[in-house]
Amino acid sequence: MISLQAVSKRFGSRLAVDNLTLTVPRGGIFGLLGHNGAGKSTTIGMLLGQVTPDAGEVRVAGRDVFADRRQALERVGAIFETPAFYDYLTGWRNLRIFSEYSAPFDPVRGREVVQLVGLERRIGDPVGTYSHGMRQRLALAQALMPKPELLILDEPSEGLDPEGIHEMRNLILRLNREWGLTILFSSHLLSEVQHLCSDLAVMQEGRLLFVGNWRELDADRQWVRVRVDRQSAAETGLVAAGLVDQFEYDGRGRLRAGVAVPAVAEWLVKQGFAVEAVHSLERTLEDFYLETIHVRDPAKK
Amino acid sequence: MFATQLKNELLKLFARKRTHIGFGAFLVVQITILGLLQLPKAKRAFGQLLSSNGYLPEEYYAGLTLGLLIIVFTISLLGALYVALVGGDVVAKEVEDGTMRMILSRPISRLRLLAVKWVACVIYTFTLMVFLGATSLLAGTIYRQGLGKLFVFVPHEGLFSAFDTGEGLWRYWRAVFFLGVVTQIITAVAFMFSCFKMKPASATILTLSVFFVDFVLRSIPYFASFQKYFISYHTACWVRTYADVVPWAGVAESLVYLTALGATFWIVGAMAFCARDFKS
Repeated sequence: MISLQAVSKRFGSRLAVDNLTLTVPRGGIFGLLGHNGAGKSTTIGMLLGQVTPDAGEVRVAGRDVFADRRQALERVGAIFETPAFYDYLTGWRNLRIFSEYSAPFDPVRGREVVQLVGLERRIGDPVGTYSHGMRQRLALAQALMPKPELLILDEPSEGLDPEGIHEMRNLILRLNREWGLTILFSSHLLSEVQHLCSDLAVMQEGRLLFVGNWRELDADRQWVRVRVDRQSAAETGLVAAGLVDQFEYDGRGRLRAGVAVPAVAEWLVKQGFAVEAVHSLERTLEDFYLETIHVRDPAKK
Repeated sequence: MFATQLKNELLKLFARKRTHIGFGAFLVVQITILGLLQLPKAKRAFGQLLSSNGYLPEEYYAGLTLGLLIIVFTISLLGALYVALVGGDVVAKEVEDGTMRMILSRPISRLRLLAVKWVACVIYTFTLMVFLGATSLLAGTIYRQGLGKLFVFVPHEGLFSAFDTGEGLWRYWRAVFFLGVVTQIITAVAFMFSCFKMKPASATILTLSVFFVDFVLRSIPYFASFQKYFISYHTACWVRTYADVVPWAGVAESLVYLTALGATFWIVGAMAFCARDFKS
């Protein structure tokens, strides 16, 4: 669905995207992760033809975004972290205006998407009276108007309250499962990405650090949390004994391949540590992300 | 689709609170000017000018003449500023507000988007001029209880003309039309700046600066022989349509000059806009 081939973009002296090659398959929810300034927004800007790359090729649905913009973006919807509308016009009028930049407005489709995002009772009100969550939902409605095959969501949960985040998450899942949309999802909220995506790309300073299924990576490795009386001595000893690869913060350690949690507990008891807790941990996206940023970054290696 | 998009652009322009405030401000200025023209000193000076040239003040100091005076003063005081404000806002404000990024996520070409916005600006400016023409004439006519005859006196253009009511009315509206045409050059300059990466206020200020510098330089005697190179010389062609014998060749030359200049500004703005990157 999306293909970036050796794409680079420089803003002044800063290299925002450095020789990025990335393919996003059709039909899934694909996460795009990275710190601020990692190049995520520039990448999304290039996908939408808003940022012109200095080098490389950007294709959406098999079409070059810059040479064949109309066909490439015909079935693409996008929302940004701070959706902007004409506040003095109603939600419905805004929906109409944005839709008519590319195609005649279909009121039936309009009502369908308004109902989907749950704005039917307020769609006739001026957008200036909307809350942030309602604006986000209106943005999603306008993105869905052209019956997209690809939905690009740039920080869609930013600024939403917990209930709003939950609703947005369910809506995204529904759009993917029931409507069959391919979704490119960029967010700082790692828990959201964890809920939604298995396939993702991690960017750092314009470079791609990881792309693939993060759950499958090192799936044979388990994580353990250790709490003992002499914590640092225990961590050093477990690594030296070849049971744990490395410890991170708060007693979290990654077990060496083939090692199980009981073996760690046994070693600690044998070594005379007063064990408070030893238990396995589910590996979170945060663990994976931080490890990727700090360990996989070739520049840091 | 172009007509639909144009309709939407016009809706965006006319539905804004700023438009309503702006049009309201014009009405206030017009009524204020009308009030100032009724001061005894102003009336006496105008009456003396007319009677010393063999015209009856009561025939000429009426709706048409007052309407013309009001429109001239209103345009000088507020017109250029307002048109520069609208032109400076049309692209830059959308970029500043973030709506431009939403628009550009749709598969519309940037040139087409600019074309729609430009035509909307042209229609908006024309509407404003017609509004000013109508309200100025209405204010003068209601106040003096009649259209009367039209008297035109513009010393620096060498104009001194008097017309009957019918001819005066025709000349009045024809001049308003030409005023609408020449005002497009302000829109074009503001539109060009608006396409660059700058705040809407900066686009407006730069536009006004261009016309201010042009006007000041043109007023310096040293540049007297270069009059035809100044924009303000050509924008004054709408006033020349009040001459007894209209210098149509000169008016056409000015219109061609302004059109070519406007097109150049448009192209420069469009090139800058098409080359820009839009990112949060």
